[in-house]
Amino acid sequence: MKHPNQVQLALWSGGDLGLWDRWRTGRHVAGCASCASEVQALRAAREQVREVTAQLPDNLNWNQLAEEMTANVRVGLAAGEAIARFDKPALSGRPRLGWNAAMVIACATVVFGAAFWINLPRPQMDHLLSALGRVRVERIGKLVQHPAAATEDVMLEASSLSLDLSQNGRTLSLMHPHSDGVTVSVSMRGSVGVRYVDADTGQVTTNKVYDAEQ
Amino acid sequence: MRSSRILGLTLVSSAAFAGVLPKIDLPKDSPVAVIASDYGESNETARGGAMLLDLHAALTLRNSSQRRIRGITFLVTAQEVTPGGKGSVTVTSLDVGPFETFPLHIDLRLLRPLQASSSGVPVQIGLDGVLFDDLSFYGADKLGSRRTLTLNEFEARRDRKYFKSLVAEGGPERLRREILESMDHSVDRPALDVQMVRGGRATNFEPEKQVQFAFLRLPDSPVDPMGGMARIAGNEARAPRLEVMNRSDRPIRYLEIGWILEDHGGRQFLAGSVPAELNLAPGQKSQILENATLKFPTRGGAPLAIEAMTGFVSSVEFADGSLWIPSRTDLGTPQLQRVMAPSGEEQRLIQIYRKKGLQGLIAELNKF
Repeated sequence: MKHPNQVQLALWSGGDLGLWDRWRTGRHVAGCASCASEVQALRAAREQVREVTAQLPDNLNWNQLAEEMTANVRVGLAAGEAIARFDKPALSGRPRLGWNAAMVIACATVVFGAAFWINLPRPQMDHLLSALGRVRVERIGKLVQHPAAATEDVMLEASSLSLDLSQNGRTLSLMHPHSDGVTVSVSMRGSVGVRYVDADTGQVTTNKVYDAEQ
Repeated sequence: MRSSRILGLTLVSSAAFAGVLPKIDLPKDSPVAVIASDYGESNETARGGAMLLDLHAALTLRNSSQRRIRGITFLVTAQEVTPGGKGSVTVTSLDVGPFETFPLHIDLRLLRPLQASSSGVPVQIGLDGVLFDDLSFYGADKLGSRRTLTLNEFEARRDRKYFKSLVAEGGPERLRREILESMDHSVDRPALDVQMVRGGRATNFEPEKQVQFAFLRLPDSPVDPMGGMARIAGNEARAPRLEVMNRSDRPIRYLEIGWILEDHGGRQFLAGSVPAELNLAPGQKSQILENATLKFPTRGGAPLAIEAMTGFVSSVEFADGSLWIPSRTDLGTPQLQRVMAPSGEEQRLIQIYRKKGLQGLIAELNKF
């Protein structure tokens, strides 16, 4: 006949065995005097422990006990964070690789843009700047374009003979007499003018040309 | 003689030219009416790959209002040729009574590629504004003609008053001396061609630099220029940025800062003006920014090299519509006298002196 071991008897005496083991061990203890005395000894020992632990020592320092417990909790938390940090590099590997790729792409874009800018012929550059200048973003996703071709290539010029408004190879000129009394005026808002006294009529005449935004 | 052409009715040099005559568009309640037009020397010719329209319009206008006209502005547009721009012809220092007539000359040239076919009238002429002797105004005012005409009228009144005071104080000879001095200044005053591009950037090879404005402070000016700078590269000046303060006790809605440039030889000239429409309360400061480029090409001779700049307040419009302009004393400042051209009225009076002498000039002054 095979006897239950010490652990099984201890668990059975405390009622901690599973259903099947509890039934089988119980049957054995009921028929085995040796094991029954062992169970009695275990139950007596448990009663003694319960009696001892029911009485707290008189000189117990609760403050010290609380500090020790708090310190233990902190040590546990610190250890947890250290372990978490130790584990992070493996997890953050992919994002770091993403930033590197973005940096490479950004640098390549800058180099390409600089090369494009340097090698762009002057007329095309002016055209590009003019086109970009006419387009502005009012809000995200909403592009606002100035009406018509407006100021593209519009040049205003005042010379000793005429006022010229030139645009795309076409010119509107207002003529004035060649005279010492001609006075040129320029407004930075977009107009150029010439004032003179008409020799025939004696009238003070001012011719002006304006760009589109005036 | 041009005057003989003015009196004639519409004369068209050829049947082919009739299709390119300008369209003159006046409102129904316009205070002026076109009673005659002459395009005698106008023509349209092919020049290389382009078509050149040479238009010389001599119009005779009648004041159909009950008030005296002091100034008038016509808007000239050529939408098929220059859709991005327009022109204007303004006549100031007028004194046209009710139902009197006065001439208006418009000389313009249109250059367009041959393949750019004209489907309609190439040039339109419209009325932008009329200023009367009581400073009332009529017109669409698309070009800011009310302000321009009123400023010119203020200058004319200031100068006539000044010349009359000279006669009263020192007799006709005092007036003659002043007129001769003004003629001398006109000869000495430098004149330059100028090109302007909106929002352009320096096209010179010279490195661009930022130059600070110096300011000429006029004692009575209601605006105090506080500081400013512009970008300079060789003979180009662009993107002026100015800070001004209203030192008057009235709110200001418009001002202009005159812009004097100085080259490396110390020669000064008036480059232009920086206008600003704003709402400037008494004691308040504001910034003025313009993003345009001025270029001063030199025809022969050494290229211009701009070294320094000076700014001064050249006109102010208050919120109530009243205006401030520099006084004759302000204009007598040596620096301004060197660069500022005489007003249109002073130029007109000088020409009367040239043609009719001192007595003719005094008679003209006494009309007002």
